[in-house]
Amino acid sequence: MSGQRVDAKVVMLGKESVGKTSLVERYVHHRFLQGPYQNTIGAAFVAKAINVGGRNVILGIWDTAGSERYEAMSRIYYRGAKAAIVCYDLTDRSSFDRVKFWVNELQNFEENCRIYICGTKSDLVENDKSMRQVDFHDVQDYADEIKAHLCETSSKTGQSVDELFQKVAEDYVNYSDFQVQSEPKGVDLNSRRDLTSYTCCHH
Amino acid sequence: MSLKSERRAIHVDQSELLCKKGCGYYGNPAWQGFCSKCWREEYQKARQKQIQEDWELAERLQREEEEAYASSQGAQGGQTSLGFTKFEEKKSNEKARKVTTVKKFFTASSKSVPKKDPEEKSGKPVQAGGRERSADILRDLKGLFVPPWELASSAEVLYDKLRDMKEAKAPSPSLTRQYSIETDRVSKDFIEFLKTYHKAGHDVYKQCKVFLETIHHKKESNIDELSEFTQDFYQNTADKLQMYWKVPPNKVEEAMDQIEKFIMTRLYKHVFCPETTDDEKKDLTVQKRIRALHWVTPQMLCVPVNEDIPEVSDMVVKAITDIIEMDSKRIPRDKLACITGCSKQIFNAIRITKNEPASADDFLPTLIYIVLKANPPRLQSNIQYITRFCNPSRLMTGEDGYYFTNLCCAIAFIEKLDAQSLNLSEEEFSRYMSGQASPKKQDTDIWDADTCPGVKQMHRNLDLLSQLSERQERIVTGAKKLEKDLIDWTEEVTREVQDIVEKYPLHIKANSQALASIDSENVEDDRLPPPLQPQVYAG
Repeated sequence: MSGQRVDAKVVMLGKESVGKTSLVERYVHHRFLQGPYQNTIGAAFVAKAINVGGRNVILGIWDTAGSERYEAMSRIYYRGAKAAIVCYDLTDRSSFDRVKFWVNELQNFEENCRIYICGTKSDLVENDKSMRQVDFHDVQDYADEIKAHLCETSSKTGQSVDELFQKVAEDYVNYSDFQVQSEPKGVDLNSRRDLTSYTCCHH
Repeated sequence: MSLKSERRAIHVDQSELLCKKGCGYYGNPAWQGFCSKCWREEYQKARQKQIQEDWELAERLQREEEEAYASSQGAQGGQTSLGFTKFEEKKSNEKARKVTTVKKFFTASSKSVPKKDPEEKSGKPVQAGGRERSADILRDLKGLFVPPWELASSAEVLYDKLRDMKEAKAPSPSLTRQYSIETDRVSKDFIEFLKTYHKAGHDVYKQCKVFLETIHHKKESNIDELSEFTQDFYQNTADKLQMYWKVPPNKVEEAMDQIEKFIMTRLYKHVFCPETTDDEKKDLTVQKRIRALHWVTPQMLCVPVNEDIPEVSDMVVKAITDIIEMDSKRIPRDKLACITGCSKQIFNAIRITKNEPASADDFLPTLIYIVLKANPPRLQSNIQYITRFCNPSRLMTGEDGYYFTNLCCAIAFIEKLDAQSLNLSEEEFSRYMSGQASPKKQDTDIWDADTCPGVKQMHRNLDLLSQLSERQERIVTGAKKLEKDLIDWTEEVTREVQDIVEKYPLHIKANSQALASIDSENVEDDRLPPPLQPQVYAG
């Protein structure tokens, strides 16, 4: 088990109980556990193989503790990560404010890590529009500004979950292929923008 | 890189830079303060000679090995390991400067090789191991008594003694050390393992050998340089295996694990908690810090583990054992395996307590709690050692890497821990830290079934003592009351008496003694002069 090869490290960031673990659980085991409090589902580390254009990519998905008391340590978590999925709860404005904190951290300390912003619990919003506290277009503007990919998912219905991780894997393959070729020249920033400027969710 | 610029910034007096021999050229610390020319004169000649002797020895040993190997294993498969055992010998006497004696020593012993032929496969490795052990002994003894470059005569004596020992074929057990036995075993396993890689395996072995020699010469240099050098070595070897030898990726992983095991078993002693760093100081700081935090309860950390469940408390104990065991391992990967084992126990404990799989929000606090409970020895050194010398691909991405990162987080949390992170008030926190109060005292009744019997006894005793002191206090109060009662009683009696005395004053009748004396017979009166008689004076 410990000898398992992992190609890319993907960290899940986000405030407590926004549904990071549910998202992973949904993606890996295709299930959603119902309960009064959904804070704790799934394992903290998952290695998942994804097929991208005939090539097998293994994502190591790292769940992180979202509590504010561990905020100071979050830097240790995302060190060397190829991608970060920053989650927020569509029905909780404060959780989106925390997204900005992690995005800042990532931009400052882990510039090679691509950022995916993920609004969770979209099923709740669909059932009752008044539940929505974070406007999609506001977030889209923000995502464009920081050149991040944005999507809204539901771990309950599975909406956009597989697409999100597929995209992470595809970007990793495209990007790392490019990196191998151009490594002597250094990192080409333009190529990064091209890779991260399109979205998988259409609203 | 930053290291170089730091060095540049150091200013040294001009005279300190000059050659120690006073030839006027600049000296270099790497040449012990001599200039290149004088250094060469002083040492290089001797070294050159030694290197040449090393090579002669190596070649001779290789020939011997070839012969021994060919006769013991037949021609087939022998090719791959030709150079391997030779290296064993060479490595083992790298420190033994007086090579000629060792050479003789080996020559003597190797004569017995052909006799061992019938034993075939098993016979040979034992032989090699024995020889290396003796060489180790020699090396140690030399190190103890004499500076390596002045060895000549005493080494001869030792050599004779050792040869006697060798001929008796019973090396003194007191001299064979655990360390070299384990190193032997690891090298043997490594060689066996590499045989399955054929030519690539041979190449890997050669690379490892070169690497170890280089490290050996670099021993004095900065630990970060050694770490970088090791990481480069991992990277290059893995690349070469994959690109040049076309080894499939999973086999590369396997080989890299074995390479790490092989080289780190040998380097451990030199690079674990080296004196050039302040690792040891940090170890002590962390240890003290954890001791000071002994009062932290699972509730404060929001640990979702209920130790009242016997199964769970078993797992907690196992997790603690695992994390403590980490210090006893020598290979970074084994250390990581201990962390992973500990983490798995934690996950199980959480799952049983909460009846659902755990997330990072549960895991991290529990790990922190386990680290606080375990206070693992040399925590910082182990973390540093793994960071410096573990194969980076494993550390950065895989499952082991995940748990390792969590452990680093746990330590960082413990170091920074304050009142806020435990949801306590500043005042409470400082009181707990200074030992003035203990949060555990408030819930003495809730004792887990698994709590150490000694602690239980202690708390029972404490209870008894507090009862006793309570009773004593009662007695003291009683005694005081009694005393007061007594005093009151005395006063009351006095008062009553006075009252009565006042009410019925005592009339003392006048003394009638004077009258009585007139009537009584008075003997003394007899002695009185007779009463005065009236006398008439003429006048």
